[in-house]
Amino acid sequence: MSDPITTASFLGLSGALLGIGLFGILTRRNFILLLIAIEIAINAAVLNFVYFAAFASTPASGLNGQSAAVVLVGLAATEIAVGLAIVLALNRLRGSINVTEATSLRL
Amino acid sequence: MWQATYLFDWAFLLPLLPALSFVIVGLLGPRLKRLEHGGWVAVGFGFATMVIGVWIAVEEMLSSGGYTDQQYTWFSIPGNGTGTFPNGFSLVVGTLVDPISALMLIVVTVVGFLVLLYSIGYMHHDGGLPRYYAELSLFLAAMNGLVLSDNLLEFFLFWELVGVCSYFLIGFYYEKPSAASAAKEAFLVTRVGDILFLLGIFVYFATYATSGSAGGWAANGFPFVQGNQPFLAGAMGGHSTTLTIAGLLILGGAAGKSAQFPLHVWLPDAMEGPTTVSALIHAATMVAAGVYLLAVASLFLGFTPADQLAIVAIGGFTSFFAATMALVNTDIKRVIAYSTISQLGYMVLAVGAGFAMVGLYHLFTHAFFKALLFLAAGSVIHAVGTQDLFKMGGLGKSMRITGFAFLVGGLSLSGIVPFAGFWSKDDLLASVYGTLATHPVYWPFFLMALATVFLTAYYIFRAFFLAFSGPASRDPTLPTAHEASWVMTGPLLALSGLAMGAGLLPFIPAFASLLPGAGIPPHYGLSELALSGISLGLAAGGIGLAYSLWGNGKVYTAAPNSALGPVRALLLRRYYFKDAYDAIGLRGLYGLSRAADFVERYMIDGTVHGLERAFGGLSNRLRHIESGVVLDYAAFLVSGLLFLLLFLLVIAPWLVSTGGI
Repeated sequence: MSDPITTASFLGLSGALLGIGLFGILTRRNFILLLIAIEIAINAAVLNFVYFAAFASTPASGLNGQSAAVVLVGLAATEIAVGLAIVLALNRLRGSINVTEATSLRL
Repeated sequence: MWQATYLFDWAFLLPLLPALSFVIVGLLGPRLKRLEHGGWVAVGFGFATMVIGVWIAVEEMLSSGGYTDQQYTWFSIPGNGTGTFPNGFSLVVGTLVDPISALMLIVVTVVGFLVLLYSIGYMHHDGGLPRYYAELSLFLAAMNGLVLSDNLLEFFLFWELVGVCSYFLIGFYYEKPSAASAAKEAFLVTRVGDILFLLGIFVYFATYATSGSAGGWAANGFPFVQGNQPFLAGAMGGHSTTLTIAGLLILGGAAGKSAQFPLHVWLPDAMEGPTTVSALIHAATMVAAGVYLLAVASLFLGFTPADQLAIVAIGGFTSFFAATMALVNTDIKRVIAYSTISQLGYMVLAVGAGFAMVGLYHLFTHAFFKALLFLAAGSVIHAVGTQDLFKMGGLGKSMRITGFAFLVGGLSLSGIVPFAGFWSKDDLLASVYGTLATHPVYWPFFLMALATVFLTAYYIFRAFFLAFSGPASRDPTLPTAHEASWVMTGPLLALSGLAMGAGLLPFIPAFASLLPGAGIPPHYGLSELALSGISLGLAAGGIGLAYSLWGNGKVYTAAPNSALGPVRALLLRRYYFKDAYDAIGLRGLYGLSRAADFVERYMIDGTVHGLERAFGGLSNRLRHIESGVVLDYAAFLVSGLLFLLLFLLVIAPWLVSTGGI
């Protein structure tokens, strides 16, 4: 029986997500788009957890991977909340959410 | 009647009392204004010391040559039969009253007391008196400790202590640059001798402390005597080469302390100190410690014939060499200082020729008449405020007591019968003359010593006539001289008495027991009488020449192109010895220091500072990476991640496959 969904294709998907996320992180200057890019990169990791949990020897140990995925989703939500708060503060402070303009936090 | 052992037990008081005075004057001196800033306290303690010291010496005379050793063991380590000290090792302190230390006690305590008393008048107008009296007391303590030491280590300890007191007191007028540098010079030059002495002690230790019949030496704390007997001299056979080397090193130590050639340069410069210090330390006692060391070493340790020849050569040559420099000097104190070096040369000569007791006899008389000369010179300086002989003149009329004292000292130094110097110096020359038959190699040094008699009489009477004869002082700006109070004239008269009579003391059998040995008291056979005649004739000739050139206010000036001119310049430049030592110090040592400084500053520090600068520059560059732009950081992050992936997925498997790791 040939399973159309192979490990390679799955890793390819999550690798693509990571690549898209990193590309966004490096190129976007809009803070909100930057946050979205980070979300995409995180979801690459979540996908990996879920996929490899399916290969667990017992169903109980498979829950480890799945619960890690749930925790990561929560973490991503928290991060977005904090990130958006910073966006609001930045917008209020500078009237712009272009990240290249916020350079005062340096040595 | 005499409880001989009773007072010997209290010999430890002799160093202790002046040490107590040192503490009291040093701490309370500034509050004792009415006691001359502690001066009278020091005089009181000095008097007590003198009474005890002379009393002990008298008891020693009556005990007919006994040795009394009071010893306290500081600590001792038992031996285990192997190692460096198979018989164990101990350190002791003790007081040894034997004939020669009793003799030295008389010198140190009597001259010490008289000089302290004289200081009350002489130093009255100076500042820093508590320091002066405290240091002088400390010196007395150390000197008494030195002569009472019963072992070599204790001896060395006090030897260093008198050296440092000498340093302090030469530099008493430390605001004067010349005094400060003279103090340093004295300390450094004598230090050369001290190190030789210390090396000599090490050689003795290495040779005798551990093996042979003297194997118990270290176990007993390196004593000079064991029981009532000198202990090492007999046990010292069989190591002649080592013994020669050790003897030469001891001679080096003595030469440093007693200002013998070639370590003589410091003593004339030491005249920068107060005249009283010159009288006590640099004429009567400390400089004599070198001679005392040689005498002690010749009695207890023993010298080989090669050592003896070296000692005779140094002593004989120094006596002549120093006397020539005294001929032309214009500073009244320096003339006497060269004379001291010259007379110490006599003593060294006698000890080297095997007559330690005759050397000590001359030390004894010399201490009195030389202290007298210095104190008389001090009285003159106190009165007229200059040390330049050519400015003085005619002082004999206004300062009769001082003039009389200087005359007595001068006659004694010249060796005119019956003054003290005659008996000891004549005995010394006769003793050395007696060895010439068996040691013809001593001849040149004996002749030098004999010629010195003429020079001595000439230079001291040149000084006498320049200062005291003539109608009036040559420099009219000098103040009118007058005699000082009794505290200064009293010691002058007391020392005048000693300078006249001290030479006759060994004819008393009890006193002669302090100097047990050949030639004491002097005996006068036909050859000795002839020799006395010659030396008296030489001395009289010297005095006559001095009178004809300088008497009655005359001032002899050589013709401008005279052959004497260059000689005079050479003598005034002190044979260029000081210049040579300065050159060694400045060029040699200073050059070496410069090289060391270069290594330190540029090579060691340079490395450290270079590293510091390199890392500083690097971090300065790296700082600019911190742009504050979030995207830049993200780029670093991603490139780091990419590198990690590259490493883990490509480089590491490749390395593993090629077997590189």
